[in-house]
Amino acid sequence: MKLTTRITVLATTTAMLLGTAACGGNDAGSDSPVTLSFTWWGGDERAEKYQQAVELFQEANPDIKVKTSFTDFPNYWTARSTEAAGRALPDVMQMDLSYLREYAENGHLADLNGQVDTAGFDENQLRAGTVDDQLLGISAGTNTFALYLNPDALEKAGVEPLPENYTWEQYNQFILDVQAAGVKTKDGQPIVGSGDYRGVLWLFIQWLVQQGVNPYTDDGKIAFTQDHIRQWLAVGDAPNNAKAFASASRTTQLKPKSPFLVGEQASELNWDNFVAGYLVDLKDVELQPIPAGANGTAQFWKPAMLLSVSNNSEHKEAAAKLTDFLVTDPAVGKIFGNSRGVPSNEAQRQAVESEEGSADELTTAYEKAVAAQVTAETPLPIRGFGSLEATWLRLGEDLAYGKISNDEFVEQFWAEAQQATL
Amino acid sequence: MAGYGFLSLWLFGFFALTAGPMLASLYLSFTRYNLFGSPEWIGLGNYQLLLSDPQFRQAVKVTVTYVLVGTPVKLAAALAVAMLLNNNRRGQGFYRSVFYAPSLIGASVSIAIVWRAMFIDNGIVDRIGSGAGLDWGGWIGNPSLIMPMFVLLTAWQFGAPMVIFLAGLKQVPADLYEAAAVDGAGPWRTFRSITVPMLSPVIFFNLLLEAVHAFQVFGSAYIISNGTGGPAGSSLFYTLYLYQRGFQDFRMGYASALAWVLLVVVGLLTFVMFRTSNAWVHYGGDEK
Repeated sequence: MKLTTRITVLATTTAMLLGTAACGGNDAGSDSPVTLSFTWWGGDERAEKYQQAVELFQEANPDIKVKTSFTDFPNYWTARSTEAAGRALPDVMQMDLSYLREYAENGHLADLNGQVDTAGFDENQLRAGTVDDQLLGISAGTNTFALYLNPDALEKAGVEPLPENYTWEQYNQFILDVQAAGVKTKDGQPIVGSGDYRGVLWLFIQWLVQQGVNPYTDDGKIAFTQDHIRQWLAVGDAPNNAKAFASASRTTQLKPKSPFLVGEQASELNWDNFVAGYLVDLKDVELQPIPAGANGTAQFWKPAMLLSVSNNSEHKEAAAKLTDFLVTDPAVGKIFGNSRGVPSNEAQRQAVESEEGSADELTTAYEKAVAAQVTAETPLPIRGFGSLEATWLRLGEDLAYGKISNDEFVEQFWAEAQQATL
Repeated sequence: MAGYGFLSLWLFGFFALTAGPMLASLYLSFTRYNLFGSPEWIGLGNYQLLLSDPQFRQAVKVTVTYVLVGTPVKLAAALAVAMLLNNNRRGQGFYRSVFYAPSLIGASVSIAIVWRAMFIDNGIVDRIGSGAGLDWGGWIGNPSLIMPMFVLLTAWQFGAPMVIFLAGLKQVPADLYEAAAVDGAGPWRTFRSITVPMLSPVIFFNLLLEAVHAFQVFGSAYIISNGTGGPAGSSLFYTLYLYQRGFQDFRMGYASALAWVLLVVVGLLTFVMFRTSNAWVHYGGDEK
C-alpha cells in the first residue's frame, strides 16, 4: 500500500513537472493555460498508458495542462467520497458503474450530452452511463464475464474439459473432479477447481439474469428477493460441502494476488478484460463462456469503466475535451488495446492491433465468440450498490470460513441492503 | 485582556480544529449523511441501529479482547524488561535504546507490513512452527490465530511503558530493599511487597494510557487485513469498523455515532479507574 502511495506521489510529481515543462513555451501566446486534474484507479501498467495518452492530448492542446494521479480501487473511492463531501472532485475521473448512481443522484457529475462525440458508441453503452436523461459517464470499454482456465493446472489434474453450453451443475462437477484428482503444485499446495464464486455480487446478478429475473426495478430499487439469494447460495453447496473450493485462509493470505494467479486454481469466473493482468503472472490462460442457467448464459456487456466530468469543475469545457479525447481518439485506443475493456468507441476499437497470442487478441476473440450469447441488457446498478458489493464480499468471506450459514448470509445481507438503499 | 490576546491563537485553534469538528460530529451522529448530499435528521436512529448490528458486536468483541489481553501482556513485558535494565551494568544505555526502538518504529506502516510477511503462509513463523512439528499454517488467514498475533505485535512495542517503569523503579528508596534483605525476604516477596506497591502510581498511569491507546488501534489492523477486518471479521477493530462505515459505505452519520460511543466508553473507563484507584494505588507519604 505504502508502495502504491509512493508511486502515486512520484507519478503526480513527474506529471506536474512534465506539465510545467510542456507549457513553458506556450505561456506567451495564450492568456491563461487551463489546468485540469485527472484521476483513475489501476496499476502501474495503466498509469504508463494514461501518461502516454495525456501527453498526446497536451501536444494537441498546448493551452491545457493535465495533472494526473492514481491509486488502487478501494482507496480510490475513499478519496473520492471525501472530495465529494467538500465539492472538490477532480475535473475528470474514472467512474465505475457500481458508484455512478451515488454520484449522479447527488449532483456531482456534469452532463456530457453534446460535449462528447457519441457517434461511434453503441446505444447500450451510452444508456449504461445515462441517469435521468443525462449522460454522466461515458464508457471507455466493455467487458463481460468469462471462465478463465489455466491449461497447465488442467493438464496436471487431467480432468475432462468442460463441454459447450455447460451448466452450473456441470461446472460444480468439474470442480469436484479437480479435487478428486488430488494434485499439488511445486510448493505442495493442492490444486483446486475454483474459488467460492458465490462471494461475487456481480455473479449473483448474472445468475439472476440467467433465471429471467430482473435484479432491479425501473425506479432503482432491489427487485430480487431473499429467496433468490438463498437459491444462488445453494448453487455452490455441493463443492462447498466437499471443501472443493480454494481454502479461505489460503485465499486471504495470497491477497492482493489470488490462488488462480499463483497457479493453484484451474479455473476462475471473472471479467474478460483481466486477461492482460493475468498474463503478467500466468504464462497461458484460455477463455470459455460462463456456465449456463435456465435462459442460457444470458451474458451482458457492462462498461468496464466510465469517464466522468465533475460538476464542481471550473473548466468543464476543457474537461469534456480531455474526456472526449480519451474515449474516442484512435491513438489512445492503440495505446490501451483491450486493457480498459474492448473499446466502446468504434474508431478506438478499429485501432487496437492485436498480435497473435496477445492479451488483446484473446479478449477480442472471446468477445466475438460470445457475441451471439450476449442477450441481456446491462442491469444498471442502483444507488448504494458500491456498499452492497462490499457487504456481499465480506459475507462471502464469512461463508467461506464457515462462520455463517447460508441463511445467516441472507439475513445479514438483507438487513444491510435495507440500510444501504434507503 | 492581554492574556486573552496571547491565548487567541490557541483559542482559535481549539475552536476551529477541536471543538468545532467535535460538535459537528455529534450533530452528524443524529443524522443520515452519506458525504454527498446534506445531512438528514433521524434523531437516535443511528444509536438504535447499533444495538441490532452484528458487525458492531463483532467489533466490540475484537477490541475488548485486545484491550483485556494485549494491555496486561504488554505491561508485564515492559515491567519485566524494565527490572532487568534497572541494574547498573556496562552498556546499559545501549540495551535501553534497543528495547525502546520497536515502539519508536512500531506505529509505522512498514512494521505492519513486515509482521504480515512474517506471519503469512510459508512466512518465517510458519516455517519455525512446522520445523517444531506444529501445524500452525499462516496466522494471517486463520481467524483464531490473528488475535494472538496482534497481542504479540503490541507486546513487542513495550518501549514507552518500559521507560516510564524504569523511571518509577529509580524512585523506589533503596533502604526499603536493604531492610527487606536484612529481614530475609526472597526476590518474589520483595517484588510483591515493595516493588509493586511503590510502583503502583506508575502502574496506574501506564495501565490507563495503554488501555486508552489499545481502544484506538487502527494502523496495524488496517494494513494487516488490507482494510477488511478479516479473516472473517476476526480483526475488525472498532476504529477500523468506524472507518469502513464512514469512508467505504458512505455512512458518516453512523460512523459519527460509533465514534461518540467510543468516546463515552473510554471516558467512563477512565472515570471508573480513577475512582477505584484509591483502593490500590499507593502514593509515597499516604496515610491510608
